[in-house]
Amino acid sequence: MFKSICAKAIVPVALTVTGFVVVCCLLLYTTIKTDLTNDAVKHSSALADTIVKSTRYAMLRSDWDTIGNIIQNIGEQKGVEHVRIFNKKGLVMFSEDPSEVDHFVDKKSAGCASCHAGPVPSATLKDMQKARHFVNERQVKVLAITAPIYNEPACFSAACHFHSPEQKLLGTLDIGLDQAPLTKTLSVMGGRMLVFSFMVLVLTVGGVAALLRKNVFQPIRTLTDFTEKAAGGNLTHCFPEIGGELERLAHHSRQLLHQRDHAMTRLQELEEEPDPVPKAKRG
Amino acid sequence: MVQPSDSLPGAETTEYHRLRREAEKKIRKLQSRANRGLWALALFIAASIGAYRNFAFLPSLPENIQSLLGESPPTELINAALIVYTFSAIILILSRMTLGSGQAGAMAHVGYLTGFYVFYFFANVLEDNFWAVFAAGVTVLALANYHLWTYCNEALRQERESLAILERREKFFGGQPSAESSDPQNG
Repeated sequence: MFKSICAKAIVPVALTVTGFVVVCCLLLYTTIKTDLTNDAVKHSSALADTIVKSTRYAMLRSDWDTIGNIIQNIGEQKGVEHVRIFNKKGLVMFSEDPSEVDHFVDKKSAGCASCHAGPVPSATLKDMQKARHFVNERQVKVLAITAPIYNEPACFSAACHFHSPEQKLLGTLDIGLDQAPLTKTLSVMGGRMLVFSFMVLVLTVGGVAALLRKNVFQPIRTLTDFTEKAAGGNLTHCFPEIGGELERLAHHSRQLLHQRDHAMTRLQELEEEPDPVPKAKRG
Repeated sequence: MVQPSDSLPGAETTEYHRLRREAEKKIRKLQSRANRGLWALALFIAASIGAYRNFAFLPSLPENIQSLLGESPPTELINAALIVYTFSAIILILSRMTLGSGQAGAMAHVGYLTGFYVFYFFANVLEDNFWAVFAAGVTVLALANYHLWTYCNEALRQERESLAILERREKFFGGQPSAESSDPQNG
Protein backbone atom coordinates (compact mmCIF):
# COMPACT_ATOMS: atom_id res chain seq x y z
CA MET A 1 0.00 0.00 0.00
CA PHE A 2 2.79 2.45 0.90
CA LYS A 3 4.73 1.60 -2.28
CA SER A 4 2.10 2.91 -4.71
CA ILE A 5 2.48 6.30 -6.44
CA CYS A 6 -0.60 7.49 -4.57
CA ALA A 7 0.93 6.72 -1.17
CA LYS A 8 4.32 8.20 -2.12
CA ALA A 9 2.62 11.45 -3.11
CA ILE A 10 0.04 11.76 -0.32
CA VAL A 11 1.81 10.40 2.78
CA PRO A 12 4.68 12.94 2.93
CA VAL A 13 2.31 15.83 2.25
CA ALA A 14 -0.16 14.65 4.91
CA LEU A 15 2.60 14.09 7.48
CA THR A 16 4.27 17.44 6.79
CA VAL A 17 1.15 19.60 6.82
CA THR A 18 -0.47 17.83 9.77
CA GLY A 19 2.67 17.89 11.89
CA PHE A 20 3.53 21.51 11.19
CA VAL A 21 -0.02 22.75 11.78
CA VAL A 22 -0.23 20.81 15.05
CA VAL A 23 3.12 22.16 16.30
CA CYS A 24 2.20 25.76 15.44
CA CYS A 25 -1.25 25.45 17.03
CA LEU A 26 0.19 23.99 20.23
CA LEU A 27 2.78 26.76 20.51
CA LEU A 28 0.15 29.41 19.75
CA TYR A 29 -2.18 27.99 22.41
CA THR A 30 0.63 27.95 24.97
CA THR A 31 1.62 31.54 24.15
CA ILE A 32 -1.97 32.79 24.41
CA LYS A 33 -2.46 30.84 27.65
CA THR A 34 0.66 32.44 29.14
CA ASP A 35 -0.47 35.90 28.04
CA LEU A 36 -3.98 35.42 29.47
CA THR A 37 -2.58 34.08 32.74
CA ASN A 38 -0.15 36.99 33.05
CA ASP A 39 -3.02 39.41 32.38
CA ALA A 40 -5.10 37.68 35.06
CA VAL A 41 -2.22 38.05 37.53
CA LYS A 42 -1.79 41.75 36.69
CA HIS A 43 -5.53 42.33 37.04
CA SER A 44 -5.60 40.47 40.34
CA SER A 45 -2.58 42.42 41.61
CA ALA A 46 -4.32 45.68 40.72
CA LEU A 47 -7.42 44.45 42.58
CA ALA A 48 -5.34 43.58 45.65
CA ASP A 49 -3.68 47.03 45.60
CA THR A 50 -7.14 48.62 45.34
CA ILE A 51 -8.30 46.68 48.42
CA VAL A 52 -5.20 47.77 50.36
CA LYS A 53 -5.87 51.40 49.44
CA SER A 54 -9.57 50.99 50.32
CA THR A 55 -8.70 49.88 53.85
CA ARG A 56 -5.95 52.49 54.36
CA TYR A 57 -8.13 55.20 55.89
CA ALA A 58 -9.88 52.75 58.23
CA MET A 59 -6.48 51.41 59.33
CA LEU A 60 -5.16 54.90 60.04
CA ARG A 61 -8.23 55.52 62.19
CA SER A 62 -7.79 52.01 63.73
CA ASP A 63 -11.41 51.27 62.75
CA TRP A 64 -11.36 47.43 62.95
CA ASP A 65 -15.13 47.12 62.37
CA THR A 66 -14.96 48.95 59.05
CA ILE A 67 -11.94 46.94 57.92
CA GLY A 68 -13.68 43.71 58.91
CA ASN A 69 -16.80 44.81 57.05
CA ILE A 70 -14.82 45.66 53.90
CA ILE A 71 -13.09 42.30 53.96
CA GLN A 72 -16.39 40.50 54.59
CA ASN A 73 -18.08 42.26 51.63
CA ILE A 74 -15.19 41.49 49.31
CA GLY A 75 -15.21 37.86 50.41
CA GLU A 76 -18.89 37.56 49.51
CA GLN A 77 -18.22 38.62 45.89
CA LYS A 78 -18.62 35.94 43.26
CA GLY A 79 -15.24 34.62 42.17
CA VAL A 80 -13.42 35.50 45.44
CA GLU A 81 -12.36 32.28 47.14
CA HIS A 82 -10.59 33.82 50.13
CA VAL A 83 -9.43 37.23 51.35
CA ARG A 84 -7.53 37.98 54.55
CA ILE A 85 -5.11 40.41 56.08
CA PHE A 86 -2.42 39.20 58.39
CA ASN A 87 0.23 41.17 60.28
CA LYS A 88 3.97 40.90 59.84
CA LYS A 89 4.13 38.00 62.27
CA GLY A 90 1.68 36.01 60.18
CA LEU A 91 -1.30 36.34 62.54
CA VAL A 92 -4.59 36.63 60.60
CA MET A 93 -6.22 39.89 61.69
CA PHE A 94 -9.13 40.03 59.23
CA SER A 95 -10.67 37.30 57.05
CA GLU A 96 -13.91 36.55 55.25
CA ASP A 97 -13.78 33.23 57.18
CA PRO A 98 -14.15 34.13 60.91
CA SER A 99 -12.55 30.82 61.94
CA GLU A 100 -9.19 31.95 60.51
CA VAL A 101 -8.98 35.11 62.62
CA ASP A 102 -6.31 35.08 65.35
CA HIS A 103 -4.56 32.07 63.79
CA PHE A 104 -1.06 32.03 62.30
CA VAL A 105 -0.35 31.51 58.60
CA ASP A 106 2.07 28.76 57.59
CA LYS A 107 5.23 30.53 56.28
CA LYS A 108 6.21 27.45 54.30
CA SER A 109 2.99 27.52 52.25
CA ALA A 110 3.14 28.34 48.52
CA GLY A 111 2.41 32.06 48.84
CA CYS A 112 4.78 32.71 51.71
CA ALA A 113 7.82 30.62 50.75
CA SER A 114 9.08 33.01 48.04
CA CYS A 115 9.55 35.82 50.60
CA HIS A 116 10.50 33.66 53.58
CA ALA A 117 12.84 31.18 51.83
CA GLY A 118 16.00 32.87 53.16
CA PRO A 119 16.95 33.95 56.69
CA VAL A 120 15.85 37.54 55.90
CA PRO A 121 12.43 37.85 54.27
CA SER A 122 12.20 39.77 50.99
CA ALA A 123 10.61 43.17 51.28
CA THR A 124 9.53 43.61 47.66
CA LEU A 125 8.15 41.24 45.03
CA LYS A 126 7.32 41.66 41.36
CA ASP A 127 3.75 41.03 40.18
CA MET A 128 4.38 37.53 38.87
CA GLN A 129 6.17 36.51 42.03
CA LYS A 130 3.22 37.61 44.16
CA ALA A 131 0.96 35.16 42.36
CA ARG A 132 0.51 31.49 43.12
CA HIS A 133 -1.70 28.85 41.54
CA PHE A 134 -3.19 25.96 43.48
CA VAL A 135 -6.33 23.88 44.01
CA ASN A 136 -8.06 24.62 47.32
CA GLU A 137 -9.95 22.21 49.57
CA ARG A 138 -13.14 22.82 47.56
CA GLN A 139 -11.30 21.53 44.45
CA VAL A 140 -11.41 25.01 42.93
CA LYS A 141 -8.45 26.28 40.89
CA VAL A 142 -7.33 29.47 42.60
CA LEU A 143 -5.03 32.32 41.63
CA ALA A 144 -3.88 33.88 44.88
CA ILE A 145 -2.22 37.28 45.10
CA THR A 146 -0.18 38.52 48.02
CA ALA A 147 -0.09 42.30 48.35
CA PRO A 148 2.23 43.70 51.04
CA ILE A 149 1.05 46.57 53.23
CA TYR A 150 4.07 48.84 53.55
CA ASN A 151 4.81 51.15 56.38
CA GLU A 152 4.20 54.85 55.53
CA PRO A 153 4.93 58.07 57.40
CA ALA A 154 1.22 58.45 58.21
CA CYS A 155 1.27 54.96 59.71
CA PHE A 156 4.11 55.47 62.19
CA SER A 157 2.94 58.95 63.23
CA ALA A 158 -0.81 58.27 63.71
CA ALA A 159 -2.30 59.11 67.08
CA CYS A 160 -4.09 55.74 67.76
CA HIS A 161 -1.07 53.50 67.69
CA PHE A 162 2.11 53.79 65.76
CA HIS A 163 4.64 51.47 64.18
CA SER A 164 8.37 51.85 64.37
CA PRO A 165 9.77 53.81 61.34
CA GLU A 166 12.33 51.02 60.79
CA GLN A 167 9.53 48.51 60.20
CA LYS A 168 9.16 48.16 56.41
CA LEU A 169 6.22 45.78 56.31
CA LEU A 170 3.10 46.12 58.46
CA GLY A 171 1.18 43.18 57.09
CA THR A 172 -0.01 41.36 53.98
CA LEU A 173 -3.27 41.13 52.07
CA ASP A 174 -3.88 37.67 50.62
CA ILE A 175 -6.69 37.31 48.08
CA GLY A 176 -7.61 34.18 46.11
CA LEU A 177 -9.68 34.35 42.92
CA ASP A 178 -11.50 31.54 41.17
CA GLN A 179 -9.82 30.64 37.88
CA ALA A 180 -12.91 28.97 36.37
CA PRO A 181 -13.63 31.85 33.92
CA LEU A 182 -10.01 31.80 32.70
CA THR A 183 -10.06 28.01 32.41
CA LYS A 184 -13.31 28.19 30.46
CA THR A 185 -11.92 30.87 28.13
CA LEU A 186 -8.82 28.78 27.49
CA SER A 187 -10.93 25.70 26.88
CA VAL A 188 -13.14 27.53 24.36
CA MET A 189 -10.08 28.98 22.65
CA GLY A 190 -8.48 25.53 22.49
CA GLY A 191 -11.64 24.08 20.98
CA ARG A 192 -11.78 26.79 18.32
CA MET A 193 -8.13 26.25 17.42
CA LEU A 194 -8.76 22.52 17.16
CA VAL A 195 -11.69 23.03 14.80
CA PHE A 196 -9.70 25.52 12.72
CA SER A 197 -6.71 23.16 12.48
CA PHE A 198 -8.97 20.30 11.49
CA MET A 199 -10.58 22.37 8.75
CA VAL A 200 -7.18 23.53 7.47
CA LEU A 201 -5.91 19.93 7.38
CA VAL A 202 -9.02 18.61 5.64
CA LEU A 203 -8.83 21.37 3.02
CA THR A 204 -5.11 21.08 2.44
CA VAL A 205 -4.55 17.34 2.57
CA GLY A 206 -7.99 16.43 1.27
CA GLY A 207 -7.85 19.01 -1.51
CA VAL A 208 -4.38 17.94 -2.64
CA ALA A 209 -5.36 14.26 -2.47
CA ALA A 210 -8.59 14.81 -4.40
CA LEU A 211 -6.93 16.87 -7.14
CA LEU A 212 -4.03 14.44 -7.48
CA ARG A 213 -6.48 11.53 -7.64
CA LYS A 214 -8.58 13.17 -10.34
CA ASN A 215 -5.75 14.52 -12.50
CA VAL A 216 -2.95 12.02 -12.01
CA PHE A 217 -3.73 8.75 -10.27
CA GLN A 218 -6.99 7.86 -11.98
CA PRO A 219 -5.65 8.51 -15.52
CA ILE A 220 -2.49 6.53 -14.66
CA ARG A 221 -4.55 3.64 -13.32
CA THR A 222 -6.83 3.72 -16.37
CA LEU A 223 -3.85 3.70 -18.70
CA THR A 224 -2.13 0.96 -16.71
CA ASP A 225 -5.26 -1.23 -16.80
CA PHE A 226 -5.66 -0.72 -20.52
CA THR A 227 -2.02 -1.51 -21.39
CA GLU A 228 -2.12 -4.54 -19.10
CA LYS A 229 -5.14 -5.93 -20.93
CA ALA A 230 -3.73 -4.98 -24.31
CA ALA A 231 -0.42 -6.68 -23.51
CA GLY A 232 -2.43 -9.78 -22.77
CA GLY A 233 -4.03 -9.57 -26.22
CA ASN A 234 -7.34 -8.03 -25.26
CA LEU A 235 -7.97 -5.01 -27.46
CA THR A 236 -11.71 -5.20 -27.60
CA HIS A 237 -12.45 -2.48 -25.05
CA CYS A 238 -12.13 1.22 -25.89
CA PHE A 239 -8.96 3.20 -25.48
CA PRO A 240 -9.36 5.48 -22.43
CA GLU A 241 -9.86 9.23 -22.90
CA ILE A 242 -7.09 10.91 -20.96
CA GLY A 243 -6.21 14.60 -20.90
CA GLY A 244 -3.05 16.59 -20.14
CA GLU A 245 0.51 15.30 -20.41
CA LEU A 246 -0.65 11.73 -20.01
CA GLU A 247 -2.39 12.04 -23.35
CA ARG A 248 1.01 11.87 -25.08
CA LEU A 249 1.81 8.70 -23.17
CA ALA A 250 -1.60 7.29 -24.10
CA HIS A 251 -1.05 8.24 -27.75
CA HIS A 252 2.37 6.53 -27.90
CA SER A 253 1.02 3.43 -26.13
CA ARG A 254 -1.76 3.30 -28.68
CA GLN A 255 0.73 3.61 -31.54
CA LEU A 256 2.90 0.81 -30.12
CA LEU A 257 -0.08 -1.48 -29.71
CA HIS A 258 -1.26 -0.79 -33.27
CA GLN A 259 2.22 -1.49 -34.63
CA ARG A 260 2.36 -4.70 -32.64
CA ASP A 261 -1.08 -5.80 -33.88
CA HIS A 262 -0.13 -4.98 -37.46
CA ALA A 263 3.11 -6.95 -37.14
CA MET A 264 1.31 -9.93 -35.62
CA THR A 265 -1.36 -9.86 -38.32
CA ARG A 266 1.29 -9.71 -41.05
CA LEU A 267 3.18 -12.60 -39.45
CA GLN A 268 0.02 -14.70 -39.34
CA GLU A 269 -0.68 -13.93 -43.01
CA LEU A 270 2.86 -14.93 -43.96
CA GLU A 271 2.53 -18.18 -42.05
CA GLU A 272 -0.78 -19.00 -43.77
CA GLU A 273 0.51 -18.27 -47.27
CA PRO A 274 1.47 -21.35 -49.31
CA ASP A 275 5.20 -21.90 -49.78
CA PRO A 276 6.09 -20.25 -53.19
CA VAL A 277 9.22 -22.51 -53.69
CA PRO A 278 8.39 -26.31 -53.89
CA LYS A 279 10.49 -28.65 -51.74
CA ALA A 280 11.95 -30.55 -54.68
CA LYS A 281 13.36 -27.43 -56.22
CA ARG A 282 14.98 -26.26 -52.96
CA GLY A 283 18.60 -27.18 -52.56
CA MET B 1 23.71 -3.22 -10.76
CA VAL B 2 25.51 -6.57 -10.85
CA GLN B 3 27.31 -7.40 -14.12
CA PRO B 4 28.80 -10.88 -14.48
CA SER B 5 31.86 -11.10 -16.70
CA ASP B 6 31.99 -13.19 -19.89
CA SER B 7 35.22 -15.07 -19.16
CA LEU B 8 35.95 -18.81 -18.76
CA PRO B 9 33.20 -20.92 -17.08
CA GLY B 10 35.28 -21.64 -13.96
CA ALA B 11 36.19 -18.03 -13.52
CA GLU B 12 32.61 -17.05 -14.20
CA THR B 13 31.36 -19.31 -11.40
CA THR B 14 33.85 -17.71 -9.03
CA GLU B 15 32.81 -14.30 -10.26
CA TYR B 16 29.18 -15.29 -9.80
CA HIS B 17 29.77 -16.28 -6.20
CA ARG B 18 31.64 -13.06 -5.52
CA LEU B 19 28.90 -10.95 -7.03
CA ARG B 20 26.25 -12.94 -5.24
CA ARG B 21 28.03 -12.40 -1.90
CA GLU B 22 28.31 -8.68 -2.61
CA ALA B 23 24.63 -8.45 -3.50
CA GLU B 24 23.62 -10.37 -0.38
CA LYS B 25 25.85 -8.15 1.74
CA LYS B 26 24.24 -5.04 0.23
CA ILE B 27 20.78 -6.50 0.87
CA ARG B 28 21.64 -7.16 4.54
CA LYS B 29 23.03 -3.64 4.90
CA LEU B 30 19.93 -2.11 3.37
CA GLN B 31 17.65 -4.18 5.59
CA SER B 32 19.50 -3.10 8.71
CA ARG B 33 19.54 0.51 7.50
CA ALA B 34 15.79 0.50 6.97
CA ASN B 35 15.34 -0.36 10.65
CA ARG B 36 17.81 2.23 11.91
CA GLY B 37 15.14 4.90 11.92
CA LEU B 38 13.16 2.93 14.48
CA TRP B 39 16.06 3.17 16.94
CA ALA B 40 15.98 6.94 16.60
CA LEU B 41 12.24 6.94 17.25
CA ALA B 42 12.69 4.73 20.32
CA LEU B 43 15.41 7.05 21.67
CA PHE B 44 13.16 10.05 21.13
CA ILE B 45 10.26 8.39 22.95
CA ALA B 46 12.61 7.56 25.86
CA ALA B 47 13.75 11.21 26.01
CA SER B 48 10.10 12.31 25.84
CA ILE B 49 9.18 10.09 28.77
CA GLY B 50 11.95 11.70 30.78
CA ALA B 51 10.78 15.17 29.74
CA TYR B 52 7.15 14.32 30.56
CA ARG B 53 8.31 13.62 34.11
CA ASN B 54 10.19 16.93 34.09
CA PHE B 55 13.49 15.02 34.28
CA ALA B 56 12.76 14.33 37.95
CA PHE B 57 14.99 11.23 37.88
CA LEU B 58 18.05 13.36 37.12
CA PRO B 59 19.94 15.08 39.95
CA SER B 60 19.61 18.87 39.99
CA LEU B 61 22.55 20.89 38.70
CA PRO B 62 24.94 22.33 41.30
CA GLU B 63 24.47 26.05 41.93
CA ASN B 64 27.86 27.02 40.52
CA ILE B 65 27.03 25.34 37.21
CA GLN B 66 23.58 26.95 37.22
CA SER B 67 25.14 30.37 37.73
CA LEU B 68 27.70 29.57 35.02
CA LEU B 69 24.90 28.76 32.57
CA GLY B 70 23.15 32.01 33.47
CA GLU B 71 19.56 32.95 32.68
CA SER B 72 17.60 30.76 30.29
CA PRO B 73 16.54 32.36 26.98
CA PRO B 74 13.02 33.82 26.82
CA THR B 75 10.25 31.32 26.04
CA GLU B 76 9.22 33.23 22.91
CA LEU B 77 12.72 32.80 21.48
CA ILE B 78 12.69 29.06 22.17
CA ASN B 79 9.24 28.79 20.54
CA ALA B 80 10.47 30.66 17.46
CA ALA B 81 13.55 28.41 17.30
CA LEU B 82 11.32 25.32 17.49
CA ILE B 83 9.16 26.51 14.61
CA VAL B 84 12.18 27.40 12.48
CA TYR B 85 13.82 24.04 13.28
CA THR B 86 10.66 22.04 12.45
CA PHE B 87 10.20 23.93 9.18
CA SER B 88 13.86 23.52 8.19
CA ALA B 89 13.96 19.84 9.10
CA ILE B 90 10.85 19.10 7.05
CA ILE B 91 12.22 21.02 4.05
CA LEU B 92 15.53 19.18 4.33
CA ILE B 93 13.91 15.74 4.42
CA LEU B 94 11.55 16.60 1.54
CA SER B 95 14.49 17.83 -0.56
CA ARG B 96 16.35 14.58 0.15
CA MET B 97 13.27 12.64 -0.95
CA THR B 98 13.10 14.69 -4.13
CA LEU B 99 16.79 14.19 -4.91
CA GLY B 100 16.67 10.48 -4.06
CA SER B 101 19.39 10.80 -1.42
CA GLY B 102 19.71 7.96 1.07
CA GLN B 103 20.64 10.23 3.98
CA ALA B 104 18.18 10.41 6.85
CA GLY B 105 20.02 11.96 9.81
CA ALA B 106 17.39 10.72 12.26
CA MET B 107 19.82 10.54 15.20
CA ALA B 108 20.80 14.18 14.74
CA HIS B 109 17.13 15.16 15.00
CA VAL B 110 16.83 13.22 18.26
CA GLY B 111 19.70 15.30 19.60
CA TYR B 112 18.13 18.60 18.52
CA LEU B 113 14.73 17.70 19.95
CA THR B 114 16.24 16.64 23.28
CA GLY B 115 17.99 20.01 23.29
CA PHE B 116 14.63 21.72 23.03
CA TYR B 117 13.33 19.70 25.95
CA VAL B 118 16.38 20.86 27.96
CA PHE B 119 15.89 24.52 27.01
CA TYR B 120 12.23 24.46 28.04
CA PHE B 121 13.20 22.64 31.24
CA PHE B 122 15.65 25.36 32.24
CA ALA B 123 13.07 28.03 31.35
CA ASN B 124 10.60 26.26 33.71
CA VAL B 125 7.98 25.95 30.98
CA LEU B 126 8.53 22.33 29.95
CA GLU B 127 5.09 21.22 31.14
CA ASP B 128 3.35 23.79 28.93
CA ASN B 129 5.45 23.16 25.81
CA PHE B 130 6.08 19.42 26.06
CA TRP B 131 3.42 18.45 23.50
CA ALA B 132 4.68 20.99 20.96
CA VAL B 133 8.17 19.45 21.03
CA PHE B 134 6.70 15.94 21.00
CA ALA B 135 4.54 16.73 17.95
CA ALA B 136 7.53 18.28 16.18
CA GLY B 137 9.61 15.20 16.95
CA VAL B 138 6.98 12.75 15.77
CA THR B 139 6.51 14.70 12.53
CA VAL B 140 10.20 15.03 11.71
CA LEU B 141 11.15 11.47 12.69
CA ALA B 142 8.11 9.91 10.99
CA LEU B 143 8.97 11.76 7.77
CA ALA B 144 12.65 10.79 8.04
CA ASN B 145 11.72 7.16 8.69
CA TYR B 146 9.28 7.12 5.77
CA HIS B 147 11.96 8.53 3.47
CA LEU B 148 14.54 6.01 4.66
CA TRP B 149 12.07 3.14 4.38
CA THR B 150 11.02 3.97 0.81
CA TYR B 151 14.64 4.55 -0.25
CA CYS B 152 15.81 1.25 1.25
CA ASN B 153 12.85 -0.65 -0.19
CA GLU B 154 13.57 0.69 -3.67
CA ALA B 155 17.28 -0.15 -3.34
CA LEU B 156 16.40 -3.63 -2.00
CA ARG B 157 14.07 -4.23 -4.93
CA GLN B 158 16.84 -3.31 -7.38
CA GLU B 159 19.40 -5.52 -5.60
CA ARG B 160 17.01 -8.46 -5.52
CA GLU B 161 16.27 -8.01 -9.21
CA SER B 162 20.00 -7.98 -9.93
CA LEU B 163 20.44 -11.11 -7.84
CA ALA B 164 17.60 -12.83 -9.69
CA ILE B 165 19.18 -11.90 -13.05
CA LEU B 166 22.51 -13.22 -11.81
CA GLU B 167 20.96 -16.50 -10.72
CA ARG B 168 19.15 -16.91 -14.04
CA ARG B 169 22.39 -16.35 -15.97
CA GLU B 170 24.24 -18.79 -13.74
CA LYS B 171 21.55 -21.41 -14.24
CA PHE B 172 21.63 -20.86 -17.98
CA PHE B 173 25.40 -20.71 -18.50
CA GLY B 174 27.00 -22.58 -15.65
CA GLY B 175 26.86 -26.20 -14.21
CA GLN B 176 25.47 -27.98 -17.33
CA PRO B 177 27.66 -28.92 -20.34
CA SER B 178 24.60 -29.31 -22.67
CA ALA B 179 23.40 -25.88 -21.65
CA GLU B 180 26.86 -24.53 -22.38
CA SER B 181 27.06 -26.05 -25.90
CA SER B 182 23.67 -24.64 -26.81
CA ASP B 183 24.79 -21.22 -25.65
CA PRO B 184 24.44 -18.97 -28.67
CA GLN B 185 27.50 -17.02 -27.58
CA ASN B 186 29.69 -20.15 -27.84
CA GLY B 187 28.29 -21.03 -31.28
